[in-house]
Amino acid sequence: MTTTASPALPATKPEIRRVRRWWPTPKLLIIVAVVGVIGYLALVPLYYLLWGTFFDANGFSLGGFARAYGDGRIGGLVANSLWFAIGAAVLALFVGTSLAYLNVRTDVPFKALFFAASIIPLIIPGILYTIAWIFLASPDIGLLNKVIEPIFGHGIVLDVFTVWGMIWVEGLHLSPIVFLLMVAAFRAMDPSLEESALMSGATRLQVFRRITVPLTRPAIIAAVLIMTVRSLESFEVPALLGLQNGIYVFTSRIYFVLRTYPPDLGAAGALAVGLLVLAMIGVAISNLAGRSGKSFQTVTGKGFRPRPMELGRWRPVMGAAILAYFFFTVVGPLLVLLYTSFLKFYQPPSAAAFKSMSLDNYRQLLHLSQAMTALKNSVYLGLGSATLVMAAMAIGAWIVVRSRIPGRQLVDQLAFVPLVIPGLVLGLALSFVYLRSPIPIYGTLFILLIAYCTRYMPYGMRYAVTSMQQISAELEESAQVSGASWWQTFRRVLLPLLSPGLLAGWIYILVVSFRELSSSILLYSPGNEVLSILIFEQYENGQFTVLSALGVVMVLTLVVLVTVAYKLGAKVGLKQD
Amino acid sequence: MKTIGLWRRGRLACVLAAGIALTLVGGCGGSPTAGGPKAGGSDGPTAAEKVYAEIAGLSGKQRRDKLVELAEKEGKLDLYTSMTSDVADAVTGEFSDKFGIDVNVYRAGSETVLQRILQEQGANFRGNDVVETNANELFALNKEHFLAEYKGERRDLVPEAGRFEGWTATRFNLFAPSWNTKLVPAEQQPKTWEDLADPKWDGKLSMELADYDWYLTLYGYWKKQSKSDEEIDRLFAAMAQGAKIAKGHTVQGELLSAGQFSVVASNYSYIVERAKKKGAPVDYLPFVQPVIARPNGVGLMKTAQHPAAAMLFADWLLEEGQKLLVDEGLTPAIVEDNDPLKGVEIVPVDVKTLVEHGDEWSKRYEKVVSNGEQVKDK
Amino acid sequence: MLCVKNLVKTFDGERRRRSRAAGAESARVFAVNEISFDVEDGSLFTLLGPSGCGKTTTLRSVAGLERPDSGTIEVGGRVLFADGSGAKTVNVPANERGLGMVFQSYAIWPHMSVFNNVAFPLQVRKRADRPGKKEIAERVMRVLQTMELADLADRQATKLSGGQQQRLALARALVIEPPLLLLDEPLSNLDAKLRESLRYELKRLQRELGITSVYVTHDQVEALVLSTSIAVMRGGNVVQLGRPREIYENPNCRFVAEFIGTSNFIAGTVSQRENDRYVVDTADGPLVLDSAASIPVGTDVVVSIRPEAVEVSTASRAGEVPNEWTGKVLTRAFLGEAVDHVVAMGRHEIRARGNPSVSIEQGTEVYLRMDPSKLALVPVD
Repeated sequence: MTTTASPALPATKPEIRRVRRWWPTPKLLIIVAVVGVIGYLALVPLYYLLWGTFFDANGFSLGGFARAYGDGRIGGLVANSLWFAIGAAVLALFVGTSLAYLNVRTDVPFKALFFAASIIPLIIPGILYTIAWIFLASPDIGLLNKVIEPIFGHGIVLDVFTVWGMIWVEGLHLSPIVFLLMVAAFRAMDPSLEESALMSGATRLQVFRRITVPLTRPAIIAAVLIMTVRSLESFEVPALLGLQNGIYVFTSRIYFVLRTYPPDLGAAGALAVGLLVLAMIGVAISNLAGRSGKSFQTVTGKGFRPRPMELGRWRPVMGAAILAYFFFTVVGPLLVLLYTSFLKFYQPPSAAAFKSMSLDNYRQLLHLSQAMTALKNSVYLGLGSATLVMAAMAIGAWIVVRSRIPGRQLVDQLAFVPLVIPGLVLGLALSFVYLRSPIPIYGTLFILLIAYCTRYMPYGMRYAVTSMQQISAELEESAQVSGASWWQTFRRVLLPLLSPGLLAGWIYILVVSFRELSSSILLYSPGNEVLSILIFEQYENGQFTVLSALGVVMVLTLVVLVTVAYKLGAKVGLKQD
Repeated sequence: MKTIGLWRRGRLACVLAAGIALTLVGGCGGSPTAGGPKAGGSDGPTAAEKVYAEIAGLSGKQRRDKLVELAEKEGKLDLYTSMTSDVADAVTGEFSDKFGIDVNVYRAGSETVLQRILQEQGANFRGNDVVETNANELFALNKEHFLAEYKGERRDLVPEAGRFEGWTATRFNLFAPSWNTKLVPAEQQPKTWEDLADPKWDGKLSMELADYDWYLTLYGYWKKQSKSDEEIDRLFAAMAQGAKIAKGHTVQGELLSAGQFSVVASNYSYIVERAKKKGAPVDYLPFVQPVIARPNGVGLMKTAQHPAAAMLFADWLLEEGQKLLVDEGLTPAIVEDNDPLKGVEIVPVDVKTLVEHGDEWSKRYEKVVSNGEQVKDK
Repeated sequence: MLCVKNLVKTFDGERRRRSRAAGAESARVFAVNEISFDVEDGSLFTLLGPSGCGKTTTLRSVAGLERPDSGTIEVGGRVLFADGSGAKTVNVPANERGLGMVFQSYAIWPHMSVFNNVAFPLQVRKRADRPGKKEIAERVMRVLQTMELADLADRQATKLSGGQQQRLALARALVIEPPLLLLDEPLSNLDAKLRESLRYELKRLQRELGITSVYVTHDQVEALVLSTSIAVMRGGNVVQLGRPREIYENPNCRFVAEFIGTSNFIAGTVSQRENDRYVVDTADGPLVLDSAASIPVGTDVVVSIRPEAVEVSTASRAGEVPNEWTGKVLTRAFLGEAVDHVVAMGRHEIRARGNPSVSIEQGTEVYLRMDPSKLALVPVD
C-alpha cells in the first residue's frame, strides 16, 4: 500500500483568492506561484518528517519522543549543543559584524582581502576545514602549538578538541555568512546617521552601540538566528572535534539514531521536531523584533554618498586584526590544504615531507572518472538553485514584509522550516515523493535542484527579508503613484534596491551548494554526480591528500565564479558603491 | 504588541496543525518508514527470478556463455555499491571491458545504499539489478525479501561463513589494531587484543565511534574464551579509558599517520595498508589475532531489469573479480593458491547477532566509548 | 573664528589607482588644493560650487569626518587640525571637536523620538561634564521651542514632515551650543516652496542666535540670500571669495559669472585704460566699463553683463550715456516681477531684464544701454 503524496498546498492560498477580480492579475499569479512553491518545498519534507515522527506501522505513536528524549544523557546533550551553538553564533556574529562594519564604513586597509576572507571559508568543505584545524591546533600534532611552544613554554597549549575549540572552528567557519549579511545591511544604511552621532560628541563605541546596532537589528537578529540553528545542525565539527573527548551534541545523536537499521526515523524526527519548535520560536521572536519599528527602514528616498570613516591612529591596529583574521580563516587552513595536496600522506612539515611533494594528487584528480561531469553538474546546480531561490525569495520577502495579505508571516515560517530538517531526512522525503511522481524527476539532476532549493530557501529568505525590511515603503508607494504596475515597481525599484542583499544571498547559496552532501548522496544517480559526491568518495577512500587537492580546485573554481558574479553585478549596477 | 505575539504563536501552531492535518489525510497509507510492498513476496517468482533459476542449473563454460549472450542483449547493468570509488572504478571498468556491458554505478555509504533501495523498492521503482555492500545492509535487504536466490559453483567455493541467504560474500574487511611506527617502538606493539587495555595507551589509543560490529564480535570471541562478562566489560572500559574517539576510519587512519594517535584499536587493514604503501609511518603487521573479518557481499535483486547481467557480474566478481580485489589491497572471499592470511586466525563478524540485536549492541558500545571520556574528564 | 589655512586633501583611492597606472606622484587628484579662508565671528560663510568642487570635503575636514593631508584648521583659537609645514601634528577626532552639524539627509535617527534625537548629544558627554537629567530635559525643550517642535517632542522622529525633520536636525546640532555650526546642503532635500521659506527662517535664526556657520551648497540663490560671505569653489580651489554683492557684481572669472546668476558674455580686447576705466573693443563696437582689476592694454578679455544691467528702450540717449547699442527684440518673456527681452545685436544675443512696465513687442528696433559701473571685466579662461 502506498499513497501518492498530496501536493502540499500552503494554507494561505484560499485567502489570497479573495481578491475581488475575475481575471487573475499577474501580481496575483506571481504571488500565488511563489507562495505555492515555498509551501510545497517546505511542506513536503515537513509532512514526511512529522508523519515519520508521529506514526509508525501501528498508527499514531509518541514512541519516537520517548526514545529520543528518554535517555538520561539528553540533558548534557542539550546543554552541550546550546553552549556550542550559541558560542559559535556569538563568535561568528562578533567577527562577521566587525569585519562587515570595517569593510563598508571605514578606510581600513587590506580591503581586497575581505573578498577572499568572506568566501573561502564557505567554500572549504566542513570536513577539510575541521581537519585542517586539527593539523593546526591539536595538542599532539598542531602546527600552531609547535610555533607557540618556544614562546610560551609548555604550559599553554591550544586544544581544538574542546567545546571552546569547537566554537572557534565553527564560529570562524560561519563568520563569512554573518559578514555577507551584515555587509548588505551596512551598505543599505545612510552613513550620515552615524556621522551625525559622532558630530554630537559620541565616541565610536557609543555610536556603534546606540546608533549602528539598533538600526541594523533585523540583520543582526537574522544572523544570530541562522548561526545558532546552523551550529545546532552542524555535524562535521562536533563529530571530528567533540567526540574525541566525548562531547556529544544533538547531531551526533541524530546520526546514531539514523544509522541503525531500520533507521529510527521516529526518534530522529522527534529530535528534529524539537529543533523545529526552537527555530520557529526564534523566527517569531525575530519577526517581532524586526516589526517593532517601521523605523528601521534606513534606506529612504534621500540619496546619500557613502564616504568611508577614517580610522586615524586605529588604522594599523585594525589592519593587523584583519591580517590575523585572514590568516586564521583563510591562509592557515588553505595552506594546510595546499601543503597536504602535494603530499603522499599527511605528515608534519619537515625536510623529508617537502622533498616528497609532487603533483600526483592533481594528476589523479584529472583521471577521476566523473571529475568533469561532477564539476559541470555542480556549477549548473549551484547557479540554478542560487538564482531560483533568490528570485523566489525576493518575492517571498515582499509578501512577508510589504503585503497586507493575511497569514503572510506563515510564508516566512514555512520558508524557514527546511533549516531544521536534517539533510538525510530531506533526501528520504524527496525520494519518497518523486519515486511516486508521474513526472520523471527521480534519477535526474532536477531532483538535486529541488533538494538544493529546499535546503537553501531559508538562507535566501533571510537575506531577502533583511534587505526588504530596510527599504522604506515610500519608495515603492511613490513608484506606484507614478503609475508603475506592481511588477514594474518590483523590478525597477525594489529589485535594484534589494540587490546588494540578494547578491550576497546568491553568492552564499552558490558557494554552499557546492558542498551539499547529506541529501545529494541519496538522490544523485549515475551520471549526475556532483563535486560533493566526489569529495565524499575520496574521503571514504582515505584519499585525504587527493581530497585536499579537490578542495583546492573547488576553492579556485568558486573564487573565479564569484569574482565573475561580482564583476557582472557591478556592471549591471547591482553593487551600489 | 502582546496580542500580536499571541496571534503569531497561533500561526506557529497553524504550521504544525497543517502538517498534522496533511498527515492524517494521507495517513491511511501507513508510515513512509514502515516499509513498502514486499516486492515479489507472494506473487510467485519475478521475471528476473525465472532467469536466475534457469541459469542456476548450468555450470562452467556453458553457464558463462549463456550469461554473456543474455547479458549482451540486455546491454547494461545497474549496480548499487558501497565499494570505495577507486575499487568500484577498477571493478566496473574491467567488467565492462570484458563483456562490453555498460555499468551504471551508484556509490554511497552502506547505510545510504540500503536507504535508497528501501525507498525505490517501496515505490516499485526498479533502480538496480545487483547490490554490493556490507553484511549488515545485505541482511536487512534479504529480510525485506528484495534479494533473489543465487546459486552457482563460485558461491560454493566461498567459505561457510560467507554464504548467506540471499547474498554471498565477495570480500572481507579486516579489523585489526594498527599503530604509528614512529611513536610505537617495535617491541611495544600490541600483540593481543587485551594489550589495548594496557594503561600505557591512555591518551594514545583511538577507538572508532560506531564500530559496534567489531565490539560485539570481540565480545563474543572473548566470551568463547570463557572470560566472564565483568572481565570483558573491564577490558573494554580499560581500552576506552582515555581513548580518543574518532568518527570514521578514514580520518582515524589519516590522523594515525599524522601522529595524532599512537594506536588505533579497530581500523580496517586495507586503509592502513594503503597509507603504508604511500610511505606513511603506520603498520598493522604482524596481525594481532584473531583478526576480525566483516564480510561484504553481492546480492541479486528480484526486480532486476537486467538479470543476466546481474548474475554475470556476481559470477565474474567471485571468479576473475577476486584477483582484482586482491590487487586493490582487499581480502577476497574465495581463497585460492597463495593466501596472504595463511596461519592467521580469523573470526567473522557475527552477522546474525548484528542484525537481530544490532541496536542493543550499538547502544552498549556507545556507552563504552562515552564512558571512556567521562573517566577522563575527572 | 574659523581659520582654515593651506588645506590639502587628495583622493586616496584615486591616487592609488592612478599611480598604479601612471606610476607617478604627479597624478595626485586633489579634492581640495591648498585652500585658505577665515570665517568671522557670528557670520555665515558659504562654500558654493558645483558637485565635485571640494566644498563638502572641506566641510567634512572641518568637522573631523575626513582627515586632510595637510594644512591647519582652527576654531576660536583652538587648533583642531594641523599637519605639515613643520607644525606639530594635531588631529582632534570629530567627536571631540564640539561642533554642530546638519547633514544633507538630516540623519535623523529613526529609532528614537524627537526628544531623544535632540538629547543624544548631551547624553553622550563624558560623565564629568554631562548635565543632569533635568537640565538635559530643560535644554532640549528650550531648543525644541526655538525650533517650534516642542509639541512633537514625544513623536517618533520618522513621523515628521520634511521641514520638521530639517528643524529637528538643526535643533540637535544646536543643543550643545557649538561655537561653529556646519551645514551640508540642508535645504536640498526640500521642495522649492518650502526651501524658500526655510531659507529665510534659517537666516533669521542664524542672525538671531549669532551663531557662526559654515554652509555648503550648490544653489547660488541660497548662497546669496543667506551668506555674509561666499567662497566660490571649483576643482578643489577657491576661485573667488567675497561678500555676496561683490561676487555677483564683480565675478573675477567667467566661471563665477556663469555659476552665479545669468550673464551675457561679450568677448573683446582692452584698447584703452585710464585708472579704473577701461574701453574694450568688441566685434560690435567698443564698451566702456569700470573695473578694479589691473589688466594691461591689448589683453583679450570677456565682458560679463548681468541682464538687469541692460536697459532696453525705444528712445535713444546717445551722447548722454556711454554704451548705447542698437538691436532688435527677438523674444520677450513676462516673469511677473520682471520682463525679459532677448535682443539681437550684431553677432550677439543679449538678455535684458527690466521693470514690467517696459514691454516691447517682438521685432521692434530698440536701444540697449549698459551702465559702465555694472559691467565686469573677466579674464579669458
